[in-house]
Amino acid sequence: MSDIVKTFQGGLTDGKLLIQSCNACKNKMLYPRHRCTKCHSNDLGWVEASGKGTLHSYTVVRGIPPAGFEAELPYGLGIVKLEEGVQLMARLKPGTSGDWSQYACDAPVTFGKPPQGPGADRAVAWFELA
Amino acid sequence: MTSAQPKLSTDARSPNDPVFIGVGEIPSGRYPNRTFMGDLVEVASRALADSGLKHDEIDTIVLIPCLHSFADQADLIFSRLVEELGLSKAAKSNFMVHSGGSTSDNAVRIAAGLIASGHAKNVLVLQAERWGSADLTEMVTMLTMNGIPKEWEQPSGITFNAIGALITQRYMAESGSTPEDMASVCVAFRKWANLNPNAMYRDKTLTIEEIMASKLVSDPVRAKECPMLADGAAAFVMTTAENAKRKSDSWVRIAGSGGCVSHYSLGQELEAGQLGWKIAADRAYEHSAWGAKDADFAQIYDSYAAVTTIGAEGMGLCPPGEAARWFRSGATSPGGKFPMNTNGGLLSAGHTGVGGGLALLIEGVRQLLGRAEKPRQIQNARRGIIGGSGGSYMDAQVLLLERIEKGDVQ
Repeated sequence: MSDIVKTFQGGLTDGKLLIQSCNACKNKMLYPRHRCTKCHSNDLGWVEASGKGTLHSYTVVRGIPPAGFEAELPYGLGIVKLEEGVQLMARLKPGTSGDWSQYACDAPVTFGKPPQGPGADRAVAWFELA
Repeated sequence: MTSAQPKLSTDARSPNDPVFIGVGEIPSGRYPNRTFMGDLVEVASRALADSGLKHDEIDTIVLIPCLHSFADQADLIFSRLVEELGLSKAAKSNFMVHSGGSTSDNAVRIAAGLIASGHAKNVLVLQAERWGSADLTEMVTMLTMNGIPKEWEQPSGITFNAIGALITQRYMAESGSTPEDMASVCVAFRKWANLNPNAMYRDKTLTIEEIMASKLVSDPVRAKECPMLADGAAAFVMTTAENAKRKSDSWVRIAGSGGCVSHYSLGQELEAGQLGWKIAADRAYEHSAWGAKDADFAQIYDSYAAVTTIGAEGMGLCPPGEAARWFRSGATSPGGKFPMNTNGGLLSAGHTGVGGGLALLIEGVRQLLGRAEKPRQIQNARRGIIGGSGGSYMDAQVLLLERIEKGDVQ
C-alpha cells in the first residue's frame, strides 16, 4: 500500500478526514494524488478537514451489491462537497427517521463516526445530516 | 473550457475523406447457443456484404473489446480474427481500442485518421459480447472491482446502478423532473425497440406504470430502469470517399467530433447533473459546419435515462432542464419530431458491454444510409448526432455524421 493511501486510511481509523495540501501552491486535493494537480509539485502535505460540506447527490443501495456488502443492505451513499473545495464519495448514516428520506441534494452534512454494525471497519468516510 | 479545435484534414470532396460504407449486426439478448467467435465472424460477414467489399480487401482490423472473458479478449488482441476471416498475410494491422462505453466513438476517430492519412485503406471495426449468457453475479462483481477506484471508492460499496442513480438524483433535483418523467424516457426507447428486429426487447412493451411498480434498486432508479446485460455483436466498415464512389451511390462521412473527459471516479465529478456533454458538444459544433438545429436525429448513450437526458440538453437538442419532459411528450418516439435512440438504446436493445455505444453508432450510420427496416427508417435522414460515454460517465463523445450522395460531390 502506498504512503498516501496509508496516511489517508490511517486518518479515517483515527476519526479524522485528511485532505492533501500542496506545500508549493496550497492547492487542496481529495482523494490524495501523487503530484499536485495544479502545479505538479511533489511537495505535498496534509490538513484535517473541518468535516462540513453539502451533499451533491445521494442514493440508497437496496439490491445487487458488490460481493461482501450483502449484510449492509440497504445503505446510503453520497457525493459530498467539502467547504475546503474538494469532494469525495461517502457513506451516509440513516437520519432520525431511521432511513434516508430526510436527505436531499445540497443538504448540509457533517463528517461523523461510522455506526456500529457490519462494514464499520471499512476505509470509508461517513457523513450525516448537519 | 473550450479552446480552439484543430480542423479536419479532409472535406466531402477529398478523395481520402474517411467514410462509412456498411454495417452488420445480429440480434441482442440471451443466446447461450451462439459463440463469441461465431458471432464476430457473422457480423464481419454481414458488414462486408453491406459494404460491397470482399473480405480480402480489408487491410486493418480495429477491435472493440469484450468484457465477459479476458481469454476471449486475448484471442482478439493476438489476431485470431485475422485467421478466422482468412486474412493471414493480407492484413496489415490488427489491434484493440478501449475506452469502455465510448470505445466505438474513439474507434471511429482511429479508423478515420488511418484512412485519411493513408495508413489504411479499408478498415473493419467489430465487437461481440457474451454478457447475456454470463454469470450475472460474476459480471456485477467484475464491474465493481474494475474502474471504480479501489482505494477511495470501492470501500463505500458503490455499484454501477448506484453511479447511474447518483447522476439521476442530481439531474432530477436540477431539472424538477418527476420519477414518471424519467420512466417515460425508458418507455420512448422501448417503442423504438419494438420496431427493431435486433433489439433484446423487440417483443415486449413497457409502460410508465410498469416501471413505477418495479422495485427500487438504487434510489431513485427502479429495476425496470436498469439496463439488461445482453449477448450481441456489431461491425462497421470504413474506407475512403474515392473507394466508396466505386461501390455505392451514397455513404456517410464525419462532419466533426468533440469530446470531454471529465473525471475518473464519479466522486470527483464537479457537476453530476451536467457531466461533460455541453463541453463535448460545443467542441463538436465548432469542429463542424453544422449544429444541433441541423440534425435529423440523435443516438445518445443510455445505460440510464438520465445519461441521455443530460446528453440531449448538453447538445442543445432541447432547452436546459426539459429533456425528460420532452421525451414524455413523445417528441423523440416513433412518429415524433426528433427521433432518438431508434434501435431502442442500451435500455431496450440490450446492454452489450462496450458494444452498447457501438449499436447506437451503427444504427445512426444505418439510418443515414437509408438501410433501417421500413417502420423504423427516418425519412430523408441526412444528418445525425452520436453521443457516447464510458466508465462512470467519465467522458462525453459527440460525433456529427452526414449522408453524402455521389451526385453532391461530383
